[in-house]
Amino acid sequence: MTPELKRQIEQREEVLAKVRRMLIDKLHVERTPEELDPDTPIFGSGLGLDSIDHVELVLFLERDFGIRETSVTEGRAAMRTINLLVDLILAAQEGNVVLE
Amino acid sequence: MSLNDAVLALRNSVTISRLDHVHYLRVRGEAAYDALDRVCTPDLYVRDGQLLHGLLLDEDAHVFADIYLGCDDEEFFLLAEGPSAPALTDYLRRHTSDRDPPEIEEMGANHKVLGVDGPYAWELLGLILGQETIGLPYLTFFHTDTGICYRAGKTGEYGYGIIAAPDVIDGLWSRCLEVGSQLDVTEAGQDALDQCALENWFFNIRREGRETVTPIELQLQWRVSSRKDYVGSHALARRREEGPKQRLTAFVGGGPLKIGDTIGLESTSVGRIVNAGFSTTYDKWIALGLLDIAWAYPGIDVFHVDRDDRSIPLCSVSPPVINNRSLYLNPQIHSFSTRHEFEFPNLAGA
Repeated sequence: MTPELKRQIEQREEVLAKVRRMLIDKLHVERTPEELDPDTPIFGSGLGLDSIDHVELVLFLERDFGIRETSVTEGRAAMRTINLLVDLILAAQEGNVVLE
Repeated sequence: MSLNDAVLALRNSVTISRLDHVHYLRVRGEAAYDALDRVCTPDLYVRDGQLLHGLLLDEDAHVFADIYLGCDDEEFFLLAEGPSAPALTDYLRRHTSDRDPPEIEEMGANHKVLGVDGPYAWELLGLILGQETIGLPYLTFFHTDTGICYRAGKTGEYGYGIIAAPDVIDGLWSRCLEVGSQLDVTEAGQDALDQCALENWFFNIRREGRETVTPIELQLQWRVSSRKDYVGSHALARRREEGPKQRLTAFVGGGPLKIGDTIGLESTSVGRIVNAGFSTTYDKWIALGLLDIAWAYPGIDVFHVDRDDRSIPLCSVSPPVINNRSLYLNPQIHSFSTRHEFEFPNLAGA
């Protein structure tokens, strides 16, 4: 594994851990972190979160990662799964903010 | 109707399908709930009129069936994909006969299922069953005069199923084609539904479901309880304790991919393609692979498939790859006839 790929995976794991923790602690998803598969759908089926939880997710993104979201519909598309949420955060950290 | 035309219709208007691969069973009796609780993987928090999306596992925690469980007054019904109807009935009898067995009735001989999918599926449903059906919440159902209508779907678009006697389904099929012409209704086969499921990261028991892996490798833990015992739960707990060695991962390829292709990373084999197809919507080859857990992350663009002296580049991605039109449609605002008055995001994503 190249150092660059190793760093990429570590960075992803770090954000994934934060997102899983937030889902459990803030949105009361009754699972252990290991049970939250990275490509699990967040809304509807999957974790079954609703529009109120979506607001909490938006607050989490702003508070913990400085991502401001003004477009609710675009936000929904970018937050369909845990991994897509991680993609969004990583893009913001690299300066490629998807939503603003 | 070609596969590509059917997929494009499903992504842009509405399709109807004969869901002959979906088996319909009813489970009755005082012991029905307890019996189903011993075989279905999710916690059975389901109210009258609701559906629960779950699995049936074998003793080794491999997926046996992909199910919806409906709570219908004092009874339950199962809509299952995977095994044949007799194998499904046998499974249920075998695993629920130890104490107070429920009554299990296989309904396939006198019922069929009609699928309606697409961003404007709700509009067709309103035309054939009445406008009050348009607001049906996801994973719920109601009784019509002649059967049951449920909202579920495995394509990422609005999806409905209608369960009724074969002659009623035949009549509804004709009516859908007749009144649905204003919505460009199109017939879609199972191949089109499977292709859309692949594009949208919906589990397909006929593809990745054939692998001898558990819901942990398949990223289906959201469909299984970790709080109760059921068939396969002990094997699943053991696998969780050991930690998975592989994880189902989505890929976009730079050329044709097929099931069974070996996924390479430099000169090492790190996985295998278990579902693949050309996405007309995304205009690229897409695939699912069982990948060694160390590499099972999206955003890695150094994978490859080597075949016929050609190296096809692969990039792992976060599914779904489709930005479904249904995400942006509101039945109170939109309609098929006014679709050109609105600007929707590109189906192929950003």
